[in-house]
Amino acid sequence: MSAPDPIIRFDRVCKSFGDHVVYEDMNLSVFAGETLAIIGGSGQGKSVCLKMLIGLLRPESGDITYRGESVLALDAEGLRQLRKRIAYVFQGGGLFDSMSVFDNLAFALREHTRLTDAEIRTRALRCMDMVGLSADMLDGMPSMLSGGERKRVAMARAIVMEPEPEVILYDEPTTGLDPKNIARIGRMIVKLQRELSVTSVVVTHDMPTAHRVSNRIAMLYDKKFPFVDTADKMWDSSVDTVSDFIHGTLRKAADGPTQ
Amino acid sequence: MKRAIERLGGFVLAGLDWLGGVAILAVTALRVGPRRPFGWGDIVKQMAEQGFGSLPITTFISLFIGMILTWQFAWALKDFGAVMTLGYAASLALVRELIPTVIAITVGAKMAAGMAAELGSMKVTEQIDAVAALGANPIKKLVWPRVFAATFATPLLVVWGNVVALGGGMVIGEKWGVPAGYFYETYIDMLVPLDYIATLSKGFIFGFIVGIIGCYQGFNAKTGTEAVGVATTETVVATSICVIVADFYLTLVFF
Repeated sequence: MSAPDPIIRFDRVCKSFGDHVVYEDMNLSVFAGETLAIIGGSGQGKSVCLKMLIGLLRPESGDITYRGESVLALDAEGLRQLRKRIAYVFQGGGLFDSMSVFDNLAFALREHTRLTDAEIRTRALRCMDMVGLSADMLDGMPSMLSGGERKRVAMARAIVMEPEPEVILYDEPTTGLDPKNIARIGRMIVKLQRELSVTSVVVTHDMPTAHRVSNRIAMLYDKKFPFVDTADKMWDSSVDTVSDFIHGTLRKAADGPTQ
Repeated sequence: MKRAIERLGGFVLAGLDWLGGVAILAVTALRVGPRRPFGWGDIVKQMAEQGFGSLPITTFISLFIGMILTWQFAWALKDFGAVMTLGYAASLALVRELIPTVIAITVGAKMAAGMAAELGSMKVTEQIDAVAALGANPIKKLVWPRVFAATFATPLLVVWGNVVALGGGMVIGEKWGVPAGYFYETYIDMLVPLDYIATLSKGFIFGFIVGIIGCYQGFNAKTGTEAVGVATTETVVATSICVIVADFYLTLVFF
């Protein structure tokens, strides 16, 4: 039996910022319904991968496809439609400071639909409930929220679109949170994946979260993803580079991949 | 010597790069902005912030410019026994030149710096990326309302500034023995339609320059909170230089 076609595919992607090469002939596939965690050191370009997928950044060469269609060939309207289907949860939440929580959630619905404010409010309340936030927060400002609440509002904003997104990209969803909130965000990612049947890509360097939420883990190393496997296999990997990173020793990080 | 030439070359190239970036943003904003939905809500909000928010400082500056210039002219004219021509002397300098230019450099720079700081902060905190990720066009959503508001708020502020400066001149004229009514009549008498067109046109063009530079600087702020400060400072300098240069060419065109 042949393997299913990936929903997202990076094919020989090269990306650099000036002299700093981030990706060199990078390949990666994400399958429908799975949660893939992308791990790797800080500043290596994990988030770049997500931003290229929704066209916020453009690679120098290679191709990125979503459901077989090249993202790089999309025009402005094509990208707009793609971004309705792929939601992005930013590292710091990316909430609009000048808008209330409700207006943050309403932003995409006002942009893409003709729903009335009452309908938008109903939908926003449902999404707030899904991420475990109370309705009375809806009229507050993002500055009044804690770090964990901001991340959950960002998750609610990501799923508010009608119909719900097919893919959710999480950029460092647990960064800067206390252990209790890290666990809560992890549970939310799993819950949304199950309830909405979405495909998720989680960029993180928080290993317990990566192990807990993902089906597979891809490790960014030397501008590629040389190690991609199930979460359990990666966790128990005997490859020094992988086990060093996952278990935190990083003693041979400079030596290159070793078997 | 070689190093100095290299530095000069680098400076020129960086300047051209900056000008190119501003021009591309201006063209893109003018291309995507007027499309539906027009974004009146955002425009009205920006007009209120930039226009009404700048009224007190515009009033203060214009009043003092009017008074200072009229005083200087009166001081010079008294030696020739021509103080009664004070209105004639002050009007051209104020309406054609000083009010639009000084308002653009002070109030306009304040607007541009505010835009650069706000958009720079939004960039640093990934809010601009979030606008795009939610399927909106950041130039349409963030740049267009600001540029539109600055372009239309600045000439209105210039009109108000001219009125206040005239009032300031009348006060000083009284001090030098020129009745306020006479000062007003001579002041208005000196002006021709081209002067009104020039002062309004300068307001529009300076407003556009202010808006586009403020947005460009904000969108191109480097990451880090310090970078927002740098972007804001550079915005004030860039706005002042561009307004002065534009003023020179507009003066050549009109007069």
